[in-house]
Amino acid sequence: MNAFSAGSGGPLSLPAISRRALLRGSLAGAGLLALSACRSAADPSPGADAVSGGAASPRRGGVLTVGVGVDFTPALLFAQSANSLLQRLVFNTLTRYDAQLQPQPELAKSWEVAADGLSVTLKLREDVTFHSGRRFTADDVVFAVKNLQNPVRSAQLRSTALTVADFRKNGDFELTLVLAHPVSNLFDLFEFMIIPDSQSVEDAVAGTRLVGTGPFTFTDRKPGSSLSFARNEKYWNPGRPYLDGVEIKVIPQAETLLSSVRTGQTQLTYAVRGKDVATLKDDERFRITQYDTGAGAFYIGANLSFPEVQDKRVRQAIAWAIDRDRLVQQALGGYATVSSVPWPKSSPAYREQDATRYHHDPEKAKALLREAGVTSLSLPLAHSSDAGSTAVAQILQYDLKQVGIEVQLQPVDSPTMQKQLISQSMPALWTLSHSFSQAHPATLAVSAYPFNEAKNTSKFSSPAYTAAVQKAWNRSDADSPEAKALYQQVTDLLLDEQFIIDLAIAGLVEVAGAQVRGVTLNKYSYLNLDDAYLAG
Amino acid sequence: MTTISLPPAARSRSGNRSRNRYVAGLRTWRGVTGLVLVGTVALAGLLAPWLTGADPDAQGPQALAAPSGAHPLGTDDIGRDLLSRVLHGILTDLSIILTAVPAGALTGAALALLAGTSRAADLVVQRLFDLVLSFPGLILGLAVTAILGPGRWPVVIIIALAEVPYFGRQLRAGVLVQREREYALAARVGGAGRARVLLRHVLPNAVDPLVVQGAVALSAGVFIEGALSFLGLGVRPPEPTLGSLISGSVAYLDTHPVLAAPLAVTTALVLGFTLLAEALNRGART
Repeated sequence: MNAFSAGSGGPLSLPAISRRALLRGSLAGAGLLALSACRSAADPSPGADAVSGGAASPRRGGVLTVGVGVDFTPALLFAQSANSLLQRLVFNTLTRYDAQLQPQPELAKSWEVAADGLSVTLKLREDVTFHSGRRFTADDVVFAVKNLQNPVRSAQLRSTALTVADFRKNGDFELTLVLAHPVSNLFDLFEFMIIPDSQSVEDAVAGTRLVGTGPFTFTDRKPGSSLSFARNEKYWNPGRPYLDGVEIKVIPQAETLLSSVRTGQTQLTYAVRGKDVATLKDDERFRITQYDTGAGAFYIGANLSFPEVQDKRVRQAIAWAIDRDRLVQQALGGYATVSSVPWPKSSPAYREQDATRYHHDPEKAKALLREAGVTSLSLPLAHSSDAGSTAVAQILQYDLKQVGIEVQLQPVDSPTMQKQLISQSMPALWTLSHSFSQAHPATLAVSAYPFNEAKNTSKFSSPAYTAAVQKAWNRSDADSPEAKALYQQVTDLLLDEQFIIDLAIAGLVEVAGAQVRGVTLNKYSYLNLDDAYLAG
Repeated sequence: MTTISLPPAARSRSGNRSRNRYVAGLRTWRGVTGLVLVGTVALAGLLAPWLTGADPDAQGPQALAAPSGAHPLGTDDIGRDLLSRVLHGILTDLSIILTAVPAGALTGAALALLAGTSRAADLVVQRLFDLVLSFPGLILGLAVTAILGPGRWPVVIIIALAEVPYFGRQLRAGVLVQREREYALAARVGGAGRARVLLRHVLPNAVDPLVVQGAVALSAGVFIEGALSFLGLGVRPPEPTLGSLISGSVAYLDTHPVLAAPLAVTTALVLGFTLLAEALNRGART
């Protein structure tokens, strides 16, 4: 996680400390402060930084209001969608990644991957109950994996779930998953897969009842308007959560959301557009944090069933033609990193020289077009019709025009855009943003619609790409030098073929009121509020 | 034959009288203010190529720049000259509403006359108007763009379609009143056919309200274009329109107040048309 704070300067700056906290701090005296500093230094919990940084002990109580742009879609509960915040509020996962992409215990206390990579043995927590009162056992993990294997659930990591061929239970709290072949992204699956209550799963995908083991119980849902959650008093993590409840409000208009944030009605959101965030960053009432996660990798896709873009030199010319720096500054408010590759900096596949492979060079673009024998080129470009995406599309259109490629913009509403992406019915060019590059690289190439080696929106297929992807995926060592060499092969192919022309990586940007502390997101944008609290 | 020569004379007299009344209406403070507002905005749009040398679509590295010599109103979020975009946006809006409103008026009038020919036609046309009116303007717009996709012509079609029932109903009401008047009866008695009575005698005396409706429709046209472009369903980018300029600038209004320029121009245009409509209406009634 690449986090920084703006506005309030940092968690220790004076404006961030409320009057009450200051009073409490001075009353407690220096000795106590020193003590709390010692404790937090020894405390391995992920919220430790935020807790000690707040210069006061976490305060219990209060309801956190979260603003989202897109309502929760119950049918997509088991997929990553535009709103995946509640997954970690109501549910838990088996493990969670730390900032170094190393798995940490959640419902699984410990685990052991067999030397041949063909099985993994999980030891589960024994003190966990579902909100319904039923005890959590190994059977629930078996159910969760089988649930993701079901194509109806549209889980992006279904291909990884499908590699689990058999389950061997050893008592109620030990389970061995037997794999058909080694996979490098097994812990991506454990980070992704929420453990639902098997008895109420149909109610869950209908959106009427969500039963999990998580820190909050689901209390109410007003479709298109709000979701409410209350504290789970029997949560397995002792003393947590601090909050009494969470309210997720659906505010589809970006401008309305922004003013809701400004007036303090929304205390936490990930839906403010980058260029709107730029208008908040100097305001000390807000804290802004950037995450590597989220559907934030902006790209141009080329549909290879159109002859105009079948020559890879044309696609490379497009990659050279775009002024990525201007795109990031003007359309994304500076909240993004220029990149020619899909990987964020935290990814094991990231290399600086790959990220900067393509830069703004109109002459090179023109030369490549000449080499490809293209004299005049006119292409349609589909984009989402909201103001932010329209600005991105207009910048692309202008830059392409400078190298002699005329582009007609085709504004399409966002759901249709998603439909065209999945059904592979895009025009010659389109621009969108993709996800699934934040965890292990193989996940992107076997799970994301634009990159899937077997079936992608570009209709690109090559034996070399398929071979490289399969080799990178079918192994258990995700971080070894050999694995990294295979990721490099995939990256080199992507950079050469350019059926997806990556432009910039913009993860989720968290905008939180200064009093909101201890909030984190997992790699799949599930909101973790175990350690969150509202400072006094 | 002498009876037939009378109506044209009567018509020309009534035509002169109504023209004078409109001119009198325009001479009131409402009319003058409306004319000045619309005239200034329209002139600025028409003279756009001479008032600014900047290409409205040319982007530059300076985004959201403050007003300067090179960019009198500064630049928008992707570094385009705002003044040039506002001026060319006016031109786009005017060309759209001046195509759409007459088209809507002619269609509406034709349907109203058709309704005047028989009871059955009247029923069909009336229900047709009801159908269009039952859609709020924006919903109608969404329905049309769902079929045709966004673009300039869909916007023209939506504005025209939204205005058809208003023009049609106004004219139909006028026709119903006028055709029972003595001169129409006289014409019928004199042996004039149904179509001739309708077109030569009734129509010229029933069009008065349409002049006022025209001014109302022009302001509604600006509003519909603005709403559609605001939703990203209007004229295709990068062509500037007042609506798309407002949509692009609204997020920065509190940090860059100069971006309110498109909003001010749109307000002036709508206000101008509304005042004109009001002035003409009052003139026609006196």
